[in-house]
Amino acid sequence: MIHFQEVSKHYENQTALRKVTFEVGKGELVFITGPSGSGKTTLLKLIYLAEKPDEGIIKVGDFEITNLRDSHVPVLRRQIGIVFQDFRLLENKNIFENVALSLRIRGESEKDIKAKVFESLKVVNLRHKADSYPKTLSGGEQQRVAIARAIVSEPAILLADEPTGNVDPDTSTGIMRTFKEINAKGTTILIATHNRELFRNTGRRVIKLDQGNFIGEDIG
Amino acid sequence: MSLSYTFKSAIKNILYDKWINILCVITIATGLLFTTITWVFVYNIDASLKKLPERFSVMLFLKDFVTQSEIDKIIKIAKNNTAVDKVIYVPKDEALKQLKKTLKNTEYVLEGLDVNPLPDSIEIRFKDDALSPENVKKLTSTLNSLNGISEIEYGEEFLSSLYSLKKGLKIAGIVFIIILAITILFVSYSTVKILFYRRKEEIETYKLLGAKKWFIRAPFIIEGSFLGFSAGLLSYFGVVTIYYLFFVRLSLTFPIFKAMIFPLNYFILLPFLGTFLGICGSVIAIGRIRY
Repeated sequence: MIHFQEVSKHYENQTALRKVTFEVGKGELVFITGPSGSGKTTLLKLIYLAEKPDEGIIKVGDFEITNLRDSHVPVLRRQIGIVFQDFRLLENKNIFENVALSLRIRGESEKDIKAKVFESLKVVNLRHKADSYPKTLSGGEQQRVAIARAIVSEPAILLADEPTGNVDPDTSTGIMRTFKEINAKGTTILIATHNRELFRNTGRRVIKLDQGNFIGEDIG
Repeated sequence: MSLSYTFKSAIKNILYDKWINILCVITIATGLLFTTITWVFVYNIDASLKKLPERFSVMLFLKDFVTQSEIDKIIKIAKNNTAVDKVIYVPKDEALKQLKKTLKNTEYVLEGLDVNPLPDSIEIRFKDDALSPENVKKLTSTLNSLNGISEIEYGEEFLSSLYSLKKGLKIAGIVFIIILAITILFVSYSTVKILFYRRKEEIETYKLLGAKKWFIRAPFIIEGSFLGFSAGLLSYFGVVTIYYLFFVRLSLTFPIFKAMIFPLNYFILLPFLGTFLGICGSVIAIGRIRY
């Protein structure tokens, strides 16, 4: 489903990723771990083309994204649900509208949007906050809204960047449970985290990065 | 992409940034108002200068013993000139009558004159679009060579300076209108650009979630057209207010305002002009969206 071959990414005076090669199969739930600055976020950004690689080949689903045409980028992104590290919630829209945005972009009907948004908010236990605005929510609640928005369109791939970074242990457990349930339905999930507790005893693949280098794989 | 959602989204955005939008509307409306008023002045100057040929004429004063055949020849040559509209022969008796009419209450200045001192004359009027210093000069030099004419009179310097003034005013007016139009376009562009920058993060999020270009662009263009339309409407009300407050009221006290033309019917186009400017501003401000 996701294929990285000798992928490198450089910034002005820093190498974010150096010749990274790995593969994630369809329906897998894989963790990417490493300390801050190890390249986890860059790796995810390369998948949804927020960044372009300097070297190597990246394949996502049927797309060879290294040379993807500009007009095909939205098509690729519609197959991916993203939980951004900084949530990226729109302050001028309420929670319902924030979650609905993914569906509106895909041109879904009002009826479907209403049903799917409430279902998605129910999964993250925030149905009662549909009319609230992001600023009135706690960090943990905002994170759960970001997850609801990422899963509402039932994407083939879900990318989560530090999805439990702002939540208490109980909420963290709840979020991981949600991811496992989504994964059980066939969604390929990639979770970038520095929190070892998150993948301990999960029996899932863990890709380890350090200073932009792929340093090995483990089972959590 | 749902059209109703796009409209709702645009309206929400307008309300969300209401203060900057109000400021933008006022700025564009002021620009449009100034442009309109300038245009009214240029229009009036142009209209009054167009009336000039009605008042301007070349006078040919004839010699005392001019023959009828000489007069006919002069009239024929003048009439054959393509720039000439009318050729009027004024006999000396008719000229005296006109003079007496003009003098009215001061007719006594003519008392004691036993002989009519005025000569026979020919008045030549020009066509509206053909009155120019060059055409007048061309005709008078032809006529100068004919027998029977003692003097040709027309304000040569007056005519050329008036035409220089007309040209100058017209160019200045057009330049001023162009400058104002560019200013308005720039203000519309800058406002939408500011709105665009303020919502850069939002647009980035839209892109990352898979929005196509028109999903992002459409609300901005609707916003731009709404702001432009509102500004146009506001400037229209401004123009109407100025018309009633100054032209109608002041024309009662100062008759000069009565002579001015204020084509109020044209100004109903202002909201549409504003909409056009708003759309142009938005399109330029958004530019190319890259992923």
